[in-house]
Amino acid sequence: MASKTGSLKLERLTKEFGNGKEKVVAVRELSLTINPGEFVTLLGPSGCGKTTALRMIAGFETPTSGNVLLDGENLVAMTPDKRPMGMVFQSYALFPHMTVFDNVAYGLRIKKMSAAEIKTAVAEVLESMSLSHLANRAPNQLSGGQQQRVALARAMVVRPKVLLFDEPLSNLDAKLRAQMRIEIRNIQRRLGITSIFVTHDQDEAMSLSDRIVVMRNAVVEQVGNPDEVYRRPASVFVADFIGRSNFLKVENAKKARSGKASVVVGGVELEVAAQENALSSKHPVLLVRPESISVTAARSAKPGKSEGVVSNVVFYGNHVEYTLDTDEGLILAVVSDPIYEEIVPVGKVARYSFDEERAWLLPSESERATKEDQE
Amino acid sequence: MAIKTSGARYDIFTKIALVLVVLIIGFLILLPLANILVYSTQPSGSAILTNSWSDIVTRDIIWNTIKLGLSVAFLGTLLGFIMAYTQARVEFRGKKILHIINLIPIISPPFAFATAVIVLFGRSGIITRGVFDWRPTLYGFPGLVLVLTLSFFPIAYMNLLGMLRSLDPALDEAGSSLGASKWKVFKTVTLPLLIPGFAGSFLLLFIEAIADLANPIIIGGNYTVLASRAYMAINGDYDISLAAGYSTLLLLPALLVFLIQRYWAQKRSVVSVTGKPSGRPTMVTSKPAKFFLLSITGLLTSLVILVYLTVVFGAFVKIIGVNNEFTLDNFRYLLGGFANGAIKTTATLALIATPIAGIFGMVIAWLVIRKVRRGAEALDFLGMLGIAVPGTVIGIGYAITYNDPVKIGDFTVFPQVGGGGAILGGAIAIVMVYIIRSSPAGQRSGIAQLQQIDPAIEEASASLGASGGKTFRLVTLPLISGAFLSGLMYAFAHSMTTLSPIIFLVTPDTSILTQKILAEADQGRYGNVFALCCILIVLIMIIGGLINLFVRKTQVSVDRPMVTGR
Ligand SMILES: Nc1ncnc2c1ncn2[C@@H]1O[C@H](COP(=O)(O)OP(=O)(O)O)[C@@H](O)[C@H]1O
Ligand SMILES: [Mg+2]
Repeated sequence: MASKTGSLKLERLTKEFGNGKEKVVAVRELSLTINPGEFVTLLGPSGCGKTTALRMIAGFETPTSGNVLLDGENLVAMTPDKRPMGMVFQSYALFPHMTVFDNVAYGLRIKKMSAAEIKTAVAEVLESMSLSHLANRAPNQLSGGQQQRVALARAMVVRPKVLLFDEPLSNLDAKLRAQMRIEIRNIQRRLGITSIFVTHDQDEAMSLSDRIVVMRNAVVEQVGNPDEVYRRPASVFVADFIGRSNFLKVENAKKARSGKASVVVGGVELEVAAQENALSSKHPVLLVRPESISVTAARSAKPGKSEGVVSNVVFYGNHVEYTLDTDEGLILAVVSDPIYEEIVPVGKVARYSFDEERAWLLPSESERATKEDQE
Repeated sequence: MAIKTSGARYDIFTKIALVLVVLIIGFLILLPLANILVYSTQPSGSAILTNSWSDIVTRDIIWNTIKLGLSVAFLGTLLGFIMAYTQARVEFRGKKILHIINLIPIISPPFAFATAVIVLFGRSGIITRGVFDWRPTLYGFPGLVLVLTLSFFPIAYMNLLGMLRSLDPALDEAGSSLGASKWKVFKTVTLPLLIPGFAGSFLLLFIEAIADLANPIIIGGNYTVLASRAYMAINGDYDISLAAGYSTLLLLPALLVFLIQRYWAQKRSVVSVTGKPSGRPTMVTSKPAKFFLLSITGLLTSLVILVYLTVVFGAFVKIIGVNNEFTLDNFRYLLGGFANGAIKTTATLALIATPIAGIFGMVIAWLVIRKVRRGAEALDFLGMLGIAVPGTVIGIGYAITYNDPVKIGDFTVFPQVGGGGAILGGAIAIVMVYIIRSSPAGQRSGIAQLQQIDPAIEEASASLGASGGKTFRLVTLPLISGAFLSGLMYAFAHSMTTLSPIIFLVTPDTSILTQKILAEADQGRYGNVFALCCILIVLIMIIGGLINLFVRKTQVSVDRPMVTGR
């Protein structure tokens, strides 16, 4: 029952705080189109502007420039109470002077629905979130997870066109967080409400989202689905922020006939996929995720090409983690389902290999940083 | 109430501290109170008590007191709220200055307001008669309400401002994201959350208003309240039992209201349950709302400024409003001998009492939060008695108790410390009053600060081998130095400006500034009153500043790093 309404368009959304020397650009030229029913995550380190972006969408901050369009209608001049959006806050913001029932009923009462209708609607949403037995409790008599669910129920019951979440899971413990993640995603799918979720936790973003918007220093670094941002990150920053990475030194990077890039790593020539600016970079690096690298014992006592000395090895049962000291730099490798007897011990030489399909060539970060500084 | 350090028994330091604290509270407040009750059962006192409802005169006095308390509490809370809300939720220039101006009345001598208001708005007031040719009668109920509201609204202001600032801004935002307009959010979210604050402020103001003695004497006219009647009983009727009877009538509602207030203070914890406040609160943007708030705030602040200008101006002219010629005569007269002794005595006694009151408040706070398991509530209440009991009642209780040696049988357990002929001319009794009246402020801020500090820090000290006393001195006291400082400052300012208990304790050998001001006001010598107020305020600022400097300097290295932040 995905609804047709709820398409959100952000046009060059910019927010500056303060002025003169004190000026901070919190969000710069954020443009994004979100489809009805889509679940989009704003992901990035603390201070990169996620909350400010979300609050501009909700109407709590007035953009310095740019537009927010919902189903074609420009909302910029509209106050938050007029926008058909629900918000779940990091602190939950449950009204402490009201019971769970009254908290959830609040938005419906504002809409002047009849008492009978309110009762049915609230009972229904409480039921669907297994909160019925808590209806008469005060918020301070609930656990963190329960408060979280009441906050979600309260935002959903008014049937907003867009749901906004600002790090709603950050106050929960790890286990509960994983559970709430699934719950939020299921409810959102069932109701088909367009959702924007702010987080600095990559696991949260990966597991929840249809699309991820990676932000850095007030600008969007990449927009893509979870696979794209993981396998084909737009930059070293994105690769580093999402998951663990190896950035291998490469030589002789050039365009291959196939249209891919040809590089030499550890004396082996590979044909790898490349980010569009990778080949114009002076020192491109090759991203290989640790789980794409396999490790076997080498016969020689001295490391040759594609080999390195094991400087650290940790056995976890279901996987083993190696750190290899190679000519291409320190390489982290995660080998799953290991056979204990075959683990290469510290100090011994090991051979590493990976599928070139699993590698991705990126421009180096340092060049970009200096370029940006010069601008 | 809070987490206590574990441990099966009290250590020796705790035991000694506990015994000392109870002894001090016993002599400084419980014994005088007990004596009030005892004396009120003697004939003239018990006549007042038993006939308090049938005797029309007494009933009127009681009703006057309650009416005054309710009016001041209502108006003061309302104004305090408007000021606090404006401060917290309206964007305008001069916010900080406004805040400071709103706080000044807390530390200023009580007569400054009464006399300035008479000069400005009385029968021949500079404004009422001078500008509007209007000759209102200020003496009595209207004048009292005006002056007491102006003097005490800052208490409500502070209280409500603190609460407004501790509300999670996301609460208001949650309301508006659910479709509620700003006005609706104000009505359904902000106001209901402040109810405990309103109740608390109302009750505090009620206590302050019914306990006040200085203003009813100066501006009360024929409007007699319990405090001024009790004063009359001592100074006119010379009947201690009668004074004890009125004191008891005043004591009962004050204590009752104080208990209700404490009960409400407990309930307040509901407010800060969810999360820490983060982000900025939603500001008032509606033009009419802003206009309304800023007008009231502006008006009230102008009034406060006007009062202070009058005090300063009045101190430097011949007769304010009549002969506005510049003169230093007032100061020349006062500093040329008339007030020198009082200035010296007041400052000395206040300086002696200040550190004792500060430490005493801190020790009680520490015992209540960290050490005492059963009876912590009771100890907290006993420590607060000094502020809960009206000053008039304390003064009369002291006069009864300490104008003779305290004896059990023939054995003197406490020497005569008050009245003429006492050792040091009655100075000790005054210091004792200063201590018991000022320590509650330190106790409150100490408790607030200790509740924020992880008990594990003190446990760590104990596990490293420090004794209870060492831990308190080396760990606890430095951690609560901020509260200690504010406790000290308050103790000092409060001692310097307190009047009602002191009136009953001054002797020819120990004259106190506030009492001198009262005498001058009684004689209608307002120039001297204003000059004395100026001297007092300057003294408070100079010595307060020095205390601040001194304590900061010695504590600088431990300024707050340990309090675990967010
Ligand atoms: N109200 C404000 N006034 C001034 N600066 C602000 C304000 N809100 C946010 N900022 C600044 O804007 C930047 C982005 O903040 P924010 O959107 O909260 O980041 P995030 O949510 O990604 O951690 C930060 O540098 C922050 O200090
Ligand atoms: Mg944020």
